Amino acid sequence: MIGFDLSEEQLRYQKMARAFAEKEMKPYAAELDRRQDTVFDWAIVRRFAKANLLGLGVPQEYGGLGVDHLTGAVVTEELGAACMGMSEPAGGTWLATCCLTLVGNKDQKRRYLPLVCGENAALAGLAVTEPEAGSDMAAIRTRATKKGDHYILNGTKAFITNAGLAGFYIVFATTDPRKRHGGLNAFIVDGDAKGLTLGKVEEMMGLRASQTGELIFDNVEVPVANLLGVENTGFLIAMQTLDMSRPCMGASAVGVARSAFEVALVYARERKQYGRPIIRNQAIAFMLADMATEIETARLLTWKASWLIDQGMDSTMASSMCKVFATEMAEKVCSGAIQILGGQGYTRNSPVEKYYRDVKACQIYEGTNQIQRIIISSML
Amino acid sequence: MIYKEIGKKIQRAREELGLSQEELASRLGYTQAALSNYELGKRRLYLANIEQIARELNRPLSYFLEDSAVRAHAKQEEPQDETIAEIIRLLSELPATERKYLLEYIQWRRDRLR
Repeated sequence: MIGFDLSEEQLRYQKMARAFAEKEMKPYAAELDRRQDTVFDWAIVRRFAKANLLGLGVPQEYGGLGVDHLTGAVVTEELGAACMGMSEPAGGTWLATCCLTLVGNKDQKRRYLPLVCGENAALAGLAVTEPEAGSDMAAIRTRATKKGDHYILNGTKAFITNAGLAGFYIVFATTDPRKRHGGLNAFIVDGDAKGLTLGKVEEMMGLRASQTGELIFDNVEVPVANLLGVENTGFLIAMQTLDMSRPCMGASAVGVARSAFEVALVYARERKQYGRPIIRNQAIAFMLADMATEIETARLLTWKASWLIDQGMDSTMASSMCKVFATEMAEKVCSGAIQILGGQGYTRNSPVEKYYRDVKACQIYEGTNQIQRIIISSML
Repeated sequence: MIYKEIGKKIQRAREELGLSQEELASRLGYTQAALSNYELGKRRLYLANIEQIARELNRPLSYFLEDSAVRAHAKQEEPQDETIAEIIRLLSELPATERKYLLEYIQWRRDRLR
């Protein structure tokens, strides 16, 4: 049977996340967005860590909250609604822990998962993209050469969320570029590993509370014990991780859209032109009706994809659909909200221009929406 | 996408060994329905599952994970013999007129050997 009611536990998490977002995120969002320097604000991490939200999906036996994917989506929507930029450090961490939880062996999980849990939690990151290898993972050139009981990593990763901030990274590298997908491997690399340095930190259009940059690997030694899964199974590991994380991003986009919609709705009811609130014009009211409809549609899609994951089913198609639909819907809703607010919407007097800039990133990272369409169309 | 491809390979390898779904499922400790879902690509296959199935079907893990296109590509890009690699390297260092002269020489040698 189909049911759309959240469980008591899920409702409890939703309430907790909403309270956290109100108290620990919203008051700082605008200020962090306007910073012009690139110094990361560690207070974000401390607040998330205090609520153990960095360990959201980490199994309880390793110190995390251990929530399932649907609960994760519910929580992420609330955080996204407050500030997507401040959610990013957590989002980057979840990507890495999702991967580690999925394929790590007991020893790897025991050594690394507790690091992102509890009050002193560190961040983590997933490093796939390179300057010359974005959508085409098989073009990855970061090289892993086996030498005794270590792999030696050399190369550069680009656009990595939490670059330079994380306690550990899951890094994708190839043992043989000629093997393309078949040569890819995933390694756990300590954030303070010798030879690992932070390259350029990106100055971004949105998500300005977060840090994204380059990671440079210069003869970084990684113990064989830190290879995830079996040698040369990195492509499968990356695909599975991304399939499982996409609904979370969809949920975050739903959160942003919801916030933009709420601002637009309040404004449309209050703003008077020609002697009456502008919401009395069908042109505006219908825009709001469409926004509400599409937000609800996207939410259901993210819930369905999350549910499939929790059932152990293949979620590939639903995950890609929810990523495409939710992220494009969110940009459209934010754009509509700016339109309804008019001149006010285009200024920093209201948060909707920030929502718009933040949410645009979602169509690009974790597999562009064009790649998602390749995945969906190949499964039709 | 991935699971469907892997699922088909599981089915093929199983059939080649003359095993029924029930037989393989019982060896793996799965229900027949679960194995059927794996073969149809409906259920998410964890790496550990694929490893276990590969062992039971006596196939290398790569049989299930690498698609034929990837294997063909890898083969295409295999290094040529050392002499050819050295010729290409040295040729690239020469000016264009010299390269053209050498090409004509190679064509002349080839024609003589025919």
